[in-house]
Amino acid sequence: MNVPPLVLDLRVVRPERRPVRLWLPLFLLWPLALVLGVVALLFTIVADAVLFVLGRRYHHYTVLLVRSFATLGETRGMVIRFSNGKTAVDMTVQ
Amino acid sequence: MSADRSRILDLLAGGKITAEEAERLLDALDTHAGAATAASGSAIKGDPEPLIAALPKYLYVKVLAANGDNVDVKIPIVLVRSGLKLTSLIPPLAMDKINDTMAEHGMSVDFNNFKPEDIDELIAGLRETEVNVDAKNGDTVRVYCA
Repeated sequence: MNVPPLVLDLRVVRPERRPVRLWLPLFLLWPLALVLGVVALLFTIVADAVLFVLGRRYHHYTVLLVRSFATLGETRGMVIRFSNGKTAVDMTVQ
Repeated sequence: MSADRSRILDLLAGGKITAEEAERLLDALDTHAGAATAASGSAIKGDPEPLIAALPKYLYVKVLAANGDNVDVKIPIVLVRSGLKLTSLIPPLAMDKINDTMAEHGMSVDFNNFKPEDIDELIAGLRETEVNVDAKNGDTVRVYCA
């Protein structure tokens, strides 16, 4: 499993202004997301069990939740750059 | 089983490479080992690292608008793969709404037809795909993997 994104590096360059660079600490959000994820996991397990007992075809909310977290974890390395000749915004997930 | 083969299969099992890429790497490993054997008369293990390193890791989307707006997006291939796999788990009701909304915007892609076994093939195809669009108004769009 890959290391989840830890920092969001945001750079903004505007004409006649000082460039702004922010490191947003995503690693501080992960413990909170983990707690929320565990709570949500309990609900999805119960929901999936009920749906399975009821004979519903779709009962994959738990897998969906886990895969969603895994997908968030794979965002590391993503870069988005925007510039319009005057302003430039650079966002890197590290 | 050699350590290199085992490593390639581990990468496949971990979802780092597709089945097609694993096959190509194993073929290359065999060819390399075969050539080495023929040259020296002994079995020399091929090193898959350069081959693995040569695989594209990112999907790039570059938009250059005629009015000077530029957008560059670099997306890890693993994220694309993970996102596509996620689509196969979206509840049918939500998926129908997504399909309807996309159809309203002129993109009639039915994500219900996305099957997990097709995703590896799709990613492999994506790695060899390059899209270049040059609009009349001067806008250009490039999508490629590297």
